[in-house]
Amino acid sequence: MYVYASFDYSAFLELAITDLEKRGIAREHILAVPLDKRVEERMVLDTIHRADGISLFDGAAVLGAVFMELGVIYGFILKWGPITWGLIGLFGGAFLGFLLDYFYGRIRNRKKEKATRNQQKTGESNTEVVLTIFCEPNQYEMVEKVLWDNMALGVGKLDRLRNSIRKGGGESWKRSNPNR
Amino acid sequence: MEKKQREPIRNLRRPKGLVKPLTINFIHLRMPWVIAWWSASYLGYAYISLGSYIKGFILIFLEAFINVNAKLNLGILYSLTGRFELAKQVVDINWLLYYVPIYIFSIWGGRQLAVDLNKYSVLADREDSGMIPFSISGSDIAFLDKRKPWVAAALSCLAPGLGHLYTHRIPTSFYTLMWWIIIAYMGHLFQCIHLTAMGNFGGAMAITNPEWLIFLPSVYVFSIYDSYVNAVAYNQLYDHEQQRFITDNYQSLNFPMPK
Repeated sequence: MYVYASFDYSAFLELAITDLEKRGIAREHILAVPLDKRVEERMVLDTIHRADGISLFDGAAVLGAVFMELGVIYGFILKWGPITWGLIGLFGGAFLGFLLDYFYGRIRNRKKEKATRNQQKTGESNTEVVLTIFCEPNQYEMVEKVLWDNMALGVGKLDRLRNSIRKGGGESWKRSNPNR
Repeated sequence: MEKKQREPIRNLRRPKGLVKPLTINFIHLRMPWVIAWWSASYLGYAYISLGSYIKGFILIFLEAFINVNAKLNLGILYSLTGRFELAKQVVDINWLLYYVPIYIFSIWGGRQLAVDLNKYSVLADREDSGMIPFSISGSDIAFLDKRKPWVAAALSCLAPGLGHLYTHRIPTSFYTLMWWIIIAYMGHLFQCIHLTAMGNFGGAMAITNPEWLIFLPSVYVFSIYDSYVNAVAYNQLYDHEQQRFITDNYQSLNFPMPK
């Protein structure tokens, strides 16, 4: 039978695989397929799973530094002093830089404006790897437990023998279900 | 149980990064103008951000040395606030001119390095070269893992340098922590913050030493920005390394495919 599991990239993925190998699943019977993801829309903040390289942090950091520097300098001749004006400069500049980056990115990306549906659905927990394990039916519980214990995002199984028995037995499943 | 990889570490010609106890150094795509800006903001930061530490520290040392000796920061302060005569008096012309070539070089060189490394970053991605994601020595342990970028930025907000410690960029972290202490102490930053918080703006202004305080904004914002960007790239490197590893080792031709 086949057991399927989805993971994100982490040390747990390797812990799960090596644990299975240690418990007698042959390396040849473990198949891992990394998935590519669709990232088109620029995101405000990169998450632990996703990063598009051109985060909206660049402009904010650059203008934040410029205005903070100016705030500190002019703070020496203004009433509230260099610290207050420095902070005002930092937040004002960062906000301005963020807005510029955001709208510039909007204009540049107008053609592919909408986030695709699959992007909207992916939240913080993202499937990044699909694991397929070929094992004997009596090993299923062990495999399932190892996968869940190592932070699998989902675990499923494909058990044709049980399906074929339900549908009238033996090897006839192919004939009764020709589309498969 | 066979534990060897098929090709133990393949294609090391165009590496994407290197994990060593002293630092985890890697290349990734950068915006050249942003890198050039960091050198304009503070000499040598382009090199530090790109992981070119020795060149970066040479330039940073020169910047601090010339700037303090030439009283450049005071000159900037007086010039920008319209006190030009004072600016002319305070600047030490015995040092000032040396700043110019170093300054131009560091902006130009930082941008050039970013452009070059972008090419090699693309090549490394295409070659999909292998790397060893864990390194231990008598002095430290370095490894790739998943880190939250916002935590890196938040740590750098609290104390510049901590965000880099979080992703094992020890040279940046050490330099930033030390330099922050020096400029905060010499510029009387914490006294100034205290008095500002008490509403005593006059006292806050009187106690500061602007010559040193003007160093602060660049150091502060750079450490937040760089630790964030670094954490993002660090996570990507982890993903790529693991992807390559499982593709190499867990896609056997002998896998009994469902028929």
